[in-house]
Amino acid sequence: MVKAPDTLERADNSQGVRCRMVAASLSGKAVGQPVMRVDGIAKVTGRALYAGDVDLPDLLSGRCLRSPHPSARIVSINVGKAKALPGVRSVLTGADVPDTCYGRMCKDIPVLAKGVVRFVGEKVAAVAADTVEIAEAALELIDVEYAELPAVFSAEEAMRPTAPIIHPEAVEFVPGAAASIHGELSMYPPIPNVISRLRVRHGDAASALASAHKIFEHSFAVPSVHQGYIEPHTCLVAIGRDGLVDVWVANKGPHIARTHMAAAIGVQENRIRFNPVAIGGDFGGKGSLMDTLVCYYLARAAGRPVRMVMNSFEELTAGNPRHSASITLRTAVDPDARLLAIDARVIFNAGAYGGFVPVPTLHGGYGELAGAYRVPNCAIEVLRVYTNTVPCGHMRAPGAPQVTFAVESHIDMIAHALGLDPVEMRRRNAIAEGDLTPLGEKRRHLRCRETIDAGARAFGWDKPKSPGIGRGMSTYEHPPGNFGLSTVALTIGIDGRITLTLGSPDTGTGFHTIAAQLVAEHFAVSVDEVEIAQGDTLSSGFEAGASGQRLTTTIGQAIAAAADRMKQDLAALAAERLNCAPSDIGIGADGSFSAPGAMIDRRTLMGWAAERGKAPLTCQGENTPGRHSDRTSFVAHFAEVAVDRETGQVRLRRIVTAHDVGTVVNPITHQGQIEGGLIQAVGQAMSEQIVLKDGAVITAHLGDYKLPTAMDIAELETILLPGGGGTAPFSTTAIGEMSNVALPAAITNAVFDAVGVRLVELPISAEKVLEGLRAQASAA
Amino acid sequence: MVPFTYLEPASLDEALALLAEHGEDAKLIAGGTGLVNLMKQRLVRPDFVIGLRAIRALAGISEKDGLRIGALATIQSLEVSELVRRHAPLLAEACGHVATVRVRSMATLGGAMAHGDPNLDTPPALIAMDGQIVARTRRGERTIPVDRFFTGYFGTVLERDEIVTELLIPKQPAGSGTAFLKFLPATQDDYATVSVATRIALGADGTIREARVALGAAAMVPVRARMVEAALSGKASDEKTLGDAAPLVVDAIDPIADFRGSAEYKREMAVVHVRRALVEAAAKAKEAR
Amino acid sequence: MRTIKLTLNGTSVSREIEDNRLLVEFLREDMKLTGTKESCGVGVCGACTVLLDGTPISACLALAVHADGRAVTTIEGIADGDRLHPLQESFLRHGGFQCGICTPGQILAAKALLDANPHPTRAEIQHWMMGNLCRCTGYYKIIESIAAAAGAE
Ligand SMILES: Cc1cc2nc3c(=O)[nH]c(=O)nc-3n(C[C@H](O)[C@H](O)[C@H](O)COP(=O)(O)OP(=O)(O)OC[C@H]3O[C@@H](n4cnc5c(N)ncnc54)[C@H](O)[C@@H]3O)c2cc1C
Ligand code: FES
Ligand code: FES
Repeated sequence: MVKAPDTLERADNSQGVRCRMVAASLSGKAVGQPVMRVDGIAKVTGRALYAGDVDLPDLLSGRCLRSPHPSARIVSINVGKAKALPGVRSVLTGADVPDTCYGRMCKDIPVLAKGVVRFVGEKVAAVAADTVEIAEAALELIDVEYAELPAVFSAEEAMRPTAPIIHPEAVEFVPGAAASIHGELSMYPPIPNVISRLRVRHGDAASALASAHKIFEHSFAVPSVHQGYIEPHTCLVAIGRDGLVDVWVANKGPHIARTHMAAAIGVQENRIRFNPVAIGGDFGGKGSLMDTLVCYYLARAAGRPVRMVMNSFEELTAGNPRHSASITLRTAVDPDARLLAIDARVIFNAGAYGGFVPVPTLHGGYGELAGAYRVPNCAIEVLRVYTNTVPCGHMRAPGAPQVTFAVESHIDMIAHALGLDPVEMRRRNAIAEGDLTPLGEKRRHLRCRETIDAGARAFGWDKPKSPGIGRGMSTYEHPPGNFGLSTVALTIGIDGRITLTLGSPDTGTGFHTIAAQLVAEHFAVSVDEVEIAQGDTLSSGFEAGASGQRLTTTIGQAIAAAADRMKQDLAALAAERLNCAPSDIGIGADGSFSAPGAMIDRRTLMGWAAERGKAPLTCQGENTPGRHSDRTSFVAHFAEVAVDRETGQVRLRRIVTAHDVGTVVNPITHQGQIEGGLIQAVGQAMSEQIVLKDGAVITAHLGDYKLPTAMDIAELETILLPGGGGTAPFSTTAIGEMSNVALPAAITNAVFDAVGVRLVELPISAEKVLEGLRAQASAA
Repeated sequence: MVPFTYLEPASLDEALALLAEHGEDAKLIAGGTGLVNLMKQRLVRPDFVIGLRAIRALAGISEKDGLRIGALATIQSLEVSELVRRHAPLLAEACGHVATVRVRSMATLGGAMAHGDPNLDTPPALIAMDGQIVARTRRGERTIPVDRFFTGYFGTVLERDEIVTELLIPKQPAGSGTAFLKFLPATQDDYATVSVATRIALGADGTIREARVALGAAAMVPVRARMVEAALSGKASDEKTLGDAAPLVVDAIDPIADFRGSAEYKREMAVVHVRRALVEAAAKAKEAR
Repeated sequence: MRTIKLTLNGTSVSREIEDNRLLVEFLREDMKLTGTKESCGVGVCGACTVLLDGTPISACLALAVHADGRAVTTIEGIADGDRLHPLQESFLRHGGFQCGICTPGQILAAKALLDANPHPTRAEIQHWMMGNLCRCTGYYKIIESIAAAAGAE
């Protein structure tokens, strides 16, 4: 049952930043509590250890020379002078490293350019030296002669028959990742520069469009943006005398990265150890090895450990930002404005290399396209295309922000064209219990309309507004991920305390704290009694890492499995101690064990077991990976803007964000995900854009690439629909990729509402709005 | 970071001697926010860096027939200074718009002038207040009006061996009001798409006795819009008159297209913001009377 | 090479450094105080914020020689033994951090604010803090943490 939002508890944290919270549905000591983060003290005191903080004896600094050309043949490289510079310990070019290419799926990224460069910023040579200064001075002494080749920067142009072919060689790829996609997938189809073409369909969109009452077609463009984590890519590699390769790297999935590294350098997996470090933000950008391979070869050549830190110029020009996209949507509606069919064509510009993502194409480019709506016929074509620009990777809900900007603008445009209120248009078409998703999947707990209604009411959608003020909304659907293996180990010590060992870093989301809360809840103990140990890749079980809002679900399952086993073992011990059958043992609210007429607390029991050599106890647990959960979630955003008609400047005044949630494990970290995601979306909407000139990124530092500041946020109200229905243990779902996707369209829809200017490209710029106003005036 | 030898003279004379000695191979450093960035990017590679921070003669703010501001005064100290707020509110206001508190706490007013960057906020404010720059070499001292100080993109009239010692802001005319507008359509921490500083002094009859209009980020150098000023002299200070004069600014500017806007857009925004700044300054001037 | 003497987190320190040493390198590499972070390196993000005689500056743009004779405070220097600074407490309690990479800078910038203005308005907090970028939190909980610490002090 959905409670009317008006009856929700309201926690007013005053002065314009309001937030409504729902009390946790559980009575437990841990789940639902705003417990402080397990990594908190380390982080507020500066003691948390990030990869860049690791210090080793004889540590060298590595730096890379990068290509100034978007497409060129390397005629010659002369490193003689660089090698001769005092303090330089190793210098490498493409000729010094093996031919194997790296990639999370498509193996197309060379360690260092071999013969050709394909984007401005590609690594051409690398130096390890006693200091960063010496390494940088050495880079200046390397002479490279290039012969420029034709280059292509837009995906559309790259697909033309006359386009230069960026990867003429056959690119190897791991078929595994491709296999999980339903639909017609072709890798490297016979279209110039196309990495993958995916066609997914449900129903018969072509016929529905052919016979429709009305058809709408619009095209949209979304530029590349950077993940914007404040910690740049950093790695350290040390090769021990025994050959063990130690790695410290800002990577969100150390186990998988370890596997990729092993394959790339030809060393057995268990001779490589990725050590735990704190991660200074990920947002999807830290899943690759980035500089780790070249760092390994530098360390090997120098016989000393090497650290590499990408400076912020390198991050912005040669990181792995979000794919830019162009999207065309054709939609058929019936006379009642009901959606009959959508035909979508999505083109992602992948840049020069495809290997930064672990999949053939971005899941969000089709998986949740128009997922909030009942669309009986749907056909989607997604192309991912090489160009001579910075290679792109994953960013928070990969593909979804681009496509959702298109869908949510398109729906708004259709509503206006039909003279329908945008909220009513969405309500009328909202997916509801019993409907299939546009791609024909069955999902449950479909609270789309309820989420929209809750948000609209809190926002005051129907309230009068002054001139120059505009209001817009957008919505989005996304289920939690339940793919990839998660393994954890629970240990109960002889003092009764519980340690959870896991293999994934906390990228910042607070998931270590969530894990501690889940453990505590299983054993009815306080979170203080639970310790989180992030193991290295040799000492922890396999963990696929943070992605696709999976961790709370998959680790939750793994913890539940381990806790179940542990409880059985404990019950057996308690039964032995209390002289009864294990089935007679109960666990009390205080975590103690009881049998008829007897009781023992955990600590005493473990002490007793230890004397008999039966403690500490360790139990493993793992999840049962599937794909996505069938319990999905919805979000509805409402934005209010003021537009200055003379300058085109748009001010974002107010946001209401309504979320259909599961059990909230920790209200602070949950709200933190919402707020952080929203402001990332504000950046994408209002100011962020990787600007290219002749293929080179010219927004090359944070002075020019504009992240939102504390002055750029808006008044915010969050509505959480009372939780429930989650498929993960304790009925949780996911929140991580819910808030950052759809907001930009709510803002551009609000701009349209304010002044009638429709923006089909992000980001909003005052100049574009003013142009729109001019065009309007001259048309009138 | 490029290598260099750091020298820290204790007096202005010593600094001038060092500068004369090392000439082309030396760079002065004040707050370092401009120079260190350039050296980190290896765009500037001096053999010697001469630190000014120990020279007491370059510090301090005093008032006598206007303000004398030592070249080393930080932007932050100017924003909060009571003296500046009272005698040169336009400068305090412009300083409040410079970047962030960290940059303001490091950057100096002398550095902001000598840097020669046309996108900064303080030069137009100083121009609109008839500010002057005092500069010294071993050969002597000269005083240069700020509106004649800038010669080109990152270029100034300063000689290689010359040090900015002080900024002078004359006593502001009675009955004057000022306004500073920094147009920031993307985020709030950014260089201006265009910035405007204005001062309007009203006569006893309420007409405009004298106007000053200066802009940042509108050309290769900070510019003064003399045509606008001339058009307003002796005129009524109503919105219509101010608005009619504003478009004349386009002849004074030559904006550079970049991702903050096309040249055409910046030109239009200059007109809008000149008008808005004039209206605001006129309103304040009326209040002041 | 030259020797600089400074008060670092309340203790006097004397060190020989290269003339071109940046303050951030001096702190992180020479003094092993890695709580100060470096990100943008151009003075924008505030990850490297430290206090120089109580004023927030970018350690990535400051020469270490410019700390000679002055007092530098880093994140390692604001707790009182085991007792956290009220701002550290408040960031913990109100979730004013996530990944934590910006947090030392946020807390030091906030400390400078509260030292100068013990009861700032929310607008004053936002204006002062706009030089400390955070990609994780969206700033709401940072502002809340500072406002709460100001109320508590
Ligand atoms: C991230 C960032 C954002 C910024 N945003 C803004 C902004 O929004 N608005 C704005 O107005 N400014 C902004 N600035 C620019 C800043 O104002 C300048 O970098 C600063 O004013 C330079 O002053 P400084 O004391 O740091 O100079 P320094 O870096 O020390 O020196 C700059 C130049 O001036 C020379 N110099 C310095 N002092 C003297 C002197 N007394 N005599 C002769 N030559 C001298 C130096 O040799 C050098 O060539 C920003 C800077 C940064 C780093
Ligand atoms: S690292 Fe110094 S301000 Fe960003
Ligand atoms: S907490 Fe991650 S950047 Fe601020």
